[in-house]
Amino acid sequence: MTAVTPLDSIHKKGLFGNHHEKNESDLIKISEIKNLTIVQVVHYKNSKTQLSNLQIDGLNFPLKSPKVSSNKETRIIWSAPNTWLVISSKENITKFIIEKCDSDNFAVTNISHSRAVIQIKGTKAMNILKKGCPLNFHEFEKDNSAGTVFHGINIIVDFVSNEPNTFNLFTLRSFGESFYHHISDASLEFGYVGV
Amino acid sequence: MLEIKCPYCGNRSQNEFSYGGDATVKRPSLGKEVSDKEWDDFVYFRKNPRGKHSEFWHHVAGCRQWFKVSRNTATHEIFKTSKINEEI
Repeated sequence: MTAVTPLDSIHKKGLFGNHHEKNESDLIKISEIKNLTIVQVVHYKNSKTQLSNLQIDGLNFPLKSPKVSSNKETRIIWSAPNTWLVISSKENITKFIIEKCDSDNFAVTNISHSRAVIQIKGTKAMNILKKGCPLNFHEFEKDNSAGTVFHGINIIVDFVSNEPNTFNLFTLRSFGESFYHHISDASLEFGYVGV
Repeated sequence: MLEIKCPYCGNRSQNEFSYGGDATVKRPSLGKEVSDKEWDDFVYFRKNPRGKHSEFWHHVAGCRQWFKVSRNTATHEIFKTSKINEEI
């Protein structure tokens, strides 16, 4: 994919903030996740298709918030009743979803180009999110996701891993740069590495 | 700041929601002859009670679903929330 990524002009690599006299492995790592395929799948209310029989990349659709179905390459996020986001590093996932989710029962929309995706990783990653997000992170576990706000910007938080804490943060592409400023500003206190 | 229990997402902060008005107002039935006063009451007039009140709220930053909240407008205590098609 040769498209310009949403944070192409703003994301910088290197050490920033309060990183002095700290081990680089202890710092927060901020990166832009590129080339993800993001597909919104909506199951029509009147559809008679059973979701329990349906799998995408070997994963079932989670039936309620905040569970995420995941494997190494693909994650299925519950985003609303009968609505999911399938997020995958597989390029052909859209074709696969369209084959499985027929247009009589599902609306399938590729929204890959309309989202900016920031990944924050590190032991202090949760502290960064707590600065601007009202979500109760004490009850937020690995493989959970939630639609919420960060300093007024609508985002989706996806808790990818807890070794160390890793979050993928999705926002609308047009909010990407502003959101990146908020995240990087919140990370200065701990010191961060732009990866 | 209120903590509101979205029927789909669970307890969330008020920041994620948007108030959607009085949930007790009912639109006059379709095809029914409606007087100017009935229509005026439906469009403009609200009770604005001090105490228990049923309201619509929208989970704008979360699941984007509308739902009902029973709330005390004086103390802000939330008694119950329900899906839009359920009685509260």
